[in-house]
Amino acid sequence: MSRIGVFICHCGTNIAGTVNVSEVAEAAKSLPHVVHVEENKYACSDPGQNAIKQAIEEHNLDRIVIGSCSPRMHEETFRKMLSETSVNPYMLEIANIREQCSWVHKEKEVGTEKSIDLVRMSAAKVDRNVPLYSGEIPITKRALVIGGGIAGIQAALDIADAGFPVTLVEKEPSIGGKMVMLDKTFPTMDCSACICAPKMNEAGAHPNIEIMNLSEVEDATGYIGNFSVTIRQKAKYIDYDKCNGCGLCEQKCPSKVVSEFERGLAQRRAVYKPFPQAVPSKPIIDAANCRKINEDRCGVCHKLCGADAINYEDKDELITQEYGAVIIATGYELIDWTKLYGEYGAGAYPDVIDGLTFERLINASGPTEGKIVRPSDGKEPKSCVMIKCVGSRDPHKGKAYCSRACCMYGAKHAHQFLEKIEDGECYVFYMDVRAAGKGYDEFYMNTLEDGAVYVRGRISHIYPEGSQYVCVGEDTLSKKLVTVSADMVVLDTAMVAQESADTIGRLFGVTRNLDGWLTEAHPKLRPVETNTAGVYLAGAAQGPKDIPDSVAQASAAAAKVIGMFCKDSLESNPMICTVNEINCRGCGDCVDVCPYGAISTQSVDRRENSVWVTRTLAFINAGLCQGCGACTASCKASALDLLGFTNEQILQEVDALCL
Amino acid sequence: MASTQDIQSAIRARAGKLLQKEVISCFIGWEAGRFEGQSSPLVVRSAADAQKLIYNDYCVQLLAKYLLTENCSEGKVGVAVRGCESRGINLALKDGQLQRENLHLVGIACQGVKDFSTKEELKKCQECTHRNPIIYDDLIGSEVTDGPRVEDTFAEVIELEALSHDERYEYWSAVFTRCIRCKACRDVCPGCTCNECFTDQAAMGWQGKQSSLAENANYGITRMFHSGERCIECGECERVCPARLPLMQINRKVLKDAYDIFGEYVVGIDDCTPNPLDTYLLEDVEEFM
Repeated sequence: MSRIGVFICHCGTNIAGTVNVSEVAEAAKSLPHVVHVEENKYACSDPGQNAIKQAIEEHNLDRIVIGSCSPRMHEETFRKMLSETSVNPYMLEIANIREQCSWVHKEKEVGTEKSIDLVRMSAAKVDRNVPLYSGEIPITKRALVIGGGIAGIQAALDIADAGFPVTLVEKEPSIGGKMVMLDKTFPTMDCSACICAPKMNEAGAHPNIEIMNLSEVEDATGYIGNFSVTIRQKAKYIDYDKCNGCGLCEQKCPSKVVSEFERGLAQRRAVYKPFPQAVPSKPIIDAANCRKINEDRCGVCHKLCGADAINYEDKDELITQEYGAVIIATGYELIDWTKLYGEYGAGAYPDVIDGLTFERLINASGPTEGKIVRPSDGKEPKSCVMIKCVGSRDPHKGKAYCSRACCMYGAKHAHQFLEKIEDGECYVFYMDVRAAGKGYDEFYMNTLEDGAVYVRGRISHIYPEGSQYVCVGEDTLSKKLVTVSADMVVLDTAMVAQESADTIGRLFGVTRNLDGWLTEAHPKLRPVETNTAGVYLAGAAQGPKDIPDSVAQASAAAAKVIGMFCKDSLESNPMICTVNEINCRGCGDCVDVCPYGAISTQSVDRRENSVWVTRTLAFINAGLCQGCGACTASCKASALDLLGFTNEQILQEVDALCL
Repeated sequence: MASTQDIQSAIRARAGKLLQKEVISCFIGWEAGRFEGQSSPLVVRSAADAQKLIYNDYCVQLLAKYLLTENCSEGKVGVAVRGCESRGINLALKDGQLQRENLHLVGIACQGVKDFSTKEELKKCQECTHRNPIIYDDLIGSEVTDGPRVEDTFAEVIELEALSHDERYEYWSAVFTRCIRCKACRDVCPGCTCNECFTDQAAMGWQGKQSSLAENANYGITRMFHSGERCIECGECERVCPARLPLMQINRKVLKDAYDIFGEYVVGIDDCTPNPLDTYLLEDVEEFM
């Protein structure tokens, strides 16, 4: 006969405000097998935990129910508490009477009634709990960082500095991401490349970091401590072991195409390094535009290369490697405003550009060497209109969220425009100015002092007139129609999730929100973890971020990885699936539904009714199983059971509620 | 088109020959029942016994189910297969319940079976979409023209779907009130291959013992989730139901939903296409997300 203890937490007024705790405790006393009931002001506090421990000893309890907050909040706390007593940590059920009850009800009567139901269900369930024990999983102490932007670089450096090997996978020819494209960074106005390039070089030269440029993650299997990841190393057509990075091939290549790095403002060759500070500091051949590869003509680079590093026959290569932890730092992309904003010319006006293109225009190492000119005629613009929230905070056309960095880089652009152009005029159309950050508001105030004219309102449309662009909008403060003619328009477009994050998220079982950003395990308390153990997030892959936030999150994710790598082995989750071999008919439906590839079928010879028969049975890999329960729901023969959530326990809960 | 008499002679001859040459250890067909127009499945183990096999318009039983029983698990088994049997066998092959190399399938192009009392073709045969066996090792006679297209079999479901929620509730309450939970529908279903059916797992308590609408409906609904989308439309459940419940309407509702949501899918058309409800594809509809 089980001896159940029930502890109802007040959580200050969080629960007690809407739930009559004493009434719940009173009701719990009459539940089957409940031998002790106690109220507690704060069950999770030290005195609270001590009271529970004491009650366990005094009343010889063998299992407990705690009516408190969500198990996501404190189940671990109470399991740890139980591990210090004679009771197995898994002989515990949490009745969530806070998030799912007191917080969502206003009337005390309703909240109390529901709390009693929830406690009754938990008591019925805990009655069928059995002790569970964790096993040990070994750890492969090598980390994979996906995405070589500033977040990925920072995370890789931190892990590598702690002494663990890291692979940094980047889909572009060079690491550096978006940061290396920027001119200066707000609010301190450091040269972006000057602070980013040293980190890139450090990563490139670090003995613990292997950079795989022009590579993408193709497949992933495994689990925390033991991921097996297949990476596609795309053909570079240059043998990096031989190439000395002299750059002669790039100078002599006759095939010129639009440079992606320069946002279409300049050209590059078919064999190229995207920018001078690129890491690895060696070129690649863009096969789509190479005359030798496509038409079997030219071959100049091969003829000139003193190191004989050119290999036109290079092929994609699939490399599979074991990793203990994965950091996803896939970053962001700018929204394609040309498809959404016909009123801004849909990309037809050459001098209506986005913020990142403007960064290349003002960048000293950019195509104009930092001179602001109009892309259409190369003349210096005297007036400029900047429009914020293009695609952000616009649920009808773009995204509902705020892209967070635009207010600040918009202020920076206005400041830089006014600084570089004498007698320049700059108008900034904004919805609100959001300058929350260290030194941010001060920066914005300085920009106002520089003479930037901030107009609160959106631009409804832009049309060309002569060599200028007429921007029509409303000043919502004075409620007047405003028309501004400008030589140039800069759109502060929304950050959107990288398309590749979708595939990578799916490969590692990391969910995405409606906008495609990868979701953290808890927005406040587990901001860098994901719901897949051993997979972490860094930078803008998780949502729009500026550089300081990205770097901070990258170091946080690295700290998690290092913390894990400092252990010799991990405790496995004992709440996994088990097979009842008598009932299993070997249909394999569970194999199809398992998202972790944890189930396989195996042939087993066994005696049944005095006859040897061969049966096909499901087999669970305890290391891979994450305890999601998808298989148990799919098993028609109910041969699969999830420990901690067995069919029997769930039925007991349902019966306690319904019967 | 071969007459049933010709088919009967051919079955006897082939089964006899296969048993004599010891290609198979037993053959599953039909034998005559006690009364005219009755038949029952028969497992033949010797060439001489093959003469007991019959084939006529009243061989209503689906033989695929009898392959799954233990009494013919040794050696290779011969079996007469029509369209419905072949789909049932494909389903069992996919579920890992049978091995193709252990089967010798003698195909029969079916012209539909009849109810002896009315001499009319059974409803399940009128709605049959696959009269010819999909898989077989050798075929008796030649193939016949197939029955209605798949969509046409959903007519009854479409009618029910048009009813209001309350009307449907009333309709199904009336149906399940009549259920006596004899579980004949399960016993005869070629898709039901669990070692122990959920309804028999008494200790677990999936199914109560009360005779009530709630328990009856629990049985019917759970059976629907277990076999609906895997239904090969043989109609055996409906044929054997002593309460004459319209069980195929339930199965077809699931089939139609699967068909509407996941596209054309014929259960048992082969032994490898996964069940739509057991698989996850990127292009699957996610209306609820």
